[in-house]
Amino acid sequence: MRQIMVATIKGILRDRIFWGILVAGLIILSIPSISTLSMRQVPELAITLSLSCSSFMLLLLTTFLGGTVLWKDIERRYTYSTLTLPISRSSYLLGKFSGVIVFMLLSALFLSIVTVVVIKLVTITVHPDRPVLWGNILVAVAFDALKYMLLTSFAFLFSTFSTSFFLPIFGTIAVFLVGSASQDVFEFVTAPTTQSVSPFVKAIASALYYILPNFSAFDLKVYAIYSLDLPSQAVILTAGYWIVYLTINLSIATIIFGKREIK
Amino acid sequence: MAAVFAYVLLIQPFVSSMGAKPFAVKLGVIPRAEAIKIGAADHKQSVAAYLVFKVMVYFGTLVEKAENKVEIPPDYPAMSRILHSSVKLDPYNMDAYYFAQAILVWDVKQIKLANDLLEYGMKYRTWDFYLPFFAGFNNAYFLKDYERAAQYYKRAGELTGDELHVNLAGRYMYEAGRTDLAIAYLSAMVKSAKNDAIRKSFNKRLEALKEVRRIQQAKQEYFNKTGKLPASVEELVEKAFISPLPRDPYGGTFYFDDKGEVRSTSNFASKSAAN
Repeated sequence: MRQIMVATIKGILRDRIFWGILVAGLIILSIPSISTLSMRQVPELAITLSLSCSSFMLLLLTTFLGGTVLWKDIERRYTYSTLTLPISRSSYLLGKFSGVIVFMLLSALFLSIVTVVVIKLVTITVHPDRPVLWGNILVAVAFDALKYMLLTSFAFLFSTFSTSFFLPIFGTIAVFLVGSASQDVFEFVTAPTTQSVSPFVKAIASALYYILPNFSAFDLKVYAIYSLDLPSQAVILTAGYWIVYLTINLSIATIIFGKREIK
Repeated sequence: MAAVFAYVLLIQPFVSSMGAKPFAVKLGVIPRAEAIKIGAADHKQSVAAYLVFKVMVYFGTLVEKAENKVEIPPDYPAMSRILHSSVKLDPYNMDAYYFAQAILVWDVKQIKLANDLLEYGMKYRTWDFYLPFFAGFNNAYFLKDYERAAQYYKRAGELTGDELHVNLAGRYMYEAGRTDLAIAYLSAMVKSAKNDAIRKSFNKRLEALKEVRRIQQAKQEYFNKTGKLPASVEELVEKAFISPLPRDPYGGTFYFDDKGEVRSTSNFASKSAAN
């Protein structure tokens, strides 16, 4: 499995699209000048924009990498030839997944370094009202990375039974939007002040809320931007949620992939 | 090659025609805050910052046009709606509260709305003394609710350890203290304002109130010397109790109302602001 992982990483590095996305991440360097547009919170705006930018870059990587890595291999018949070797299907799948994950972690590391440099630059010129909590900033990027790894597992899941890249890519984008919105929709639908929602819709929304991934739990940006204390219990529970959900997704993906006809 | 040549010929007239298009300064319509929240995924704070920026640019454009004598009445309700949406997305965003205080209080006189917004912000920005400071000022200067003002100033004092805030709670019990309070408040705001349009707006008001204080002090001097109250502001000028001539930056003339308070025919508002 390790050889598959390394081969996957090498393959990604060779494909220049992903270099392109990372270089686009250097747009973060324009943030010091953009953040001066704020009236009262220049450092906070710098942190906001840097974290948003990093998150978006990781989303692009997840969607286009996660959605196409498996599909490309199947298309080019590499999978077919690789599986003739003494390697189980699950090792192959998990090897490929690990390769993508490692690349994403490296990207997240690169993006955090650029983010930290940019925020440091801004806080030197404009003194922040509250001290910058660097730990919170790194935790925010780390949890964004965890979120996108979970999203990648969805991309892989779609790839295991899809024959083109459409479902993995658009399905991943759809899961991302739905997962990010689920908490807000659930709160809106179940709020006592909301009257125009039928009980049927409420029941469906609640059921979906419990099944669909809750990505907003991984959004710790506000703690980084405004130097608030991290809610440690919630953060630990989210990490636990991540482990369990990821395991479920990868298990289902492995089962489906195991039964797939590959010519 | 010919195409490139044609481009070079065409580009200047094209750019001129784009520049000559009638410029509609509008804020446009934005979706409800709940809808934006759902669409904003994990970028809520960035979207909130963008909304405030939108309002700022709109207002700045109008202020610039007003200086060039093109008076376009600002769409304050739309600005207020967008700022309210912004704080629903990011309740910690200070720019939104700051701007809302600037326009809701002075230009639209929606004091209660401003205070409600500040109260909402105080639940989140628990470390920030500016929010109770603004709320205290609003209650003292406009609503004349001295008790609530004192409560807010006390909170501001607790956050900063600054005696001024607590002192202010006591000062505006006195009639003259109201003008002094406003002058102190606006002086602080002018100093800390980083946005040109807002700073100019505050400065204008500050100049007007300083003139009011000058007249009040001259009136007091007149009373101390003659035992009577002056009939008009002109009388103070004629009898040399005040020099130079008081000037209202809003273009009005100062007079004494029937309670003897200093007022101006401009009511300290630019012509386009709703009263």
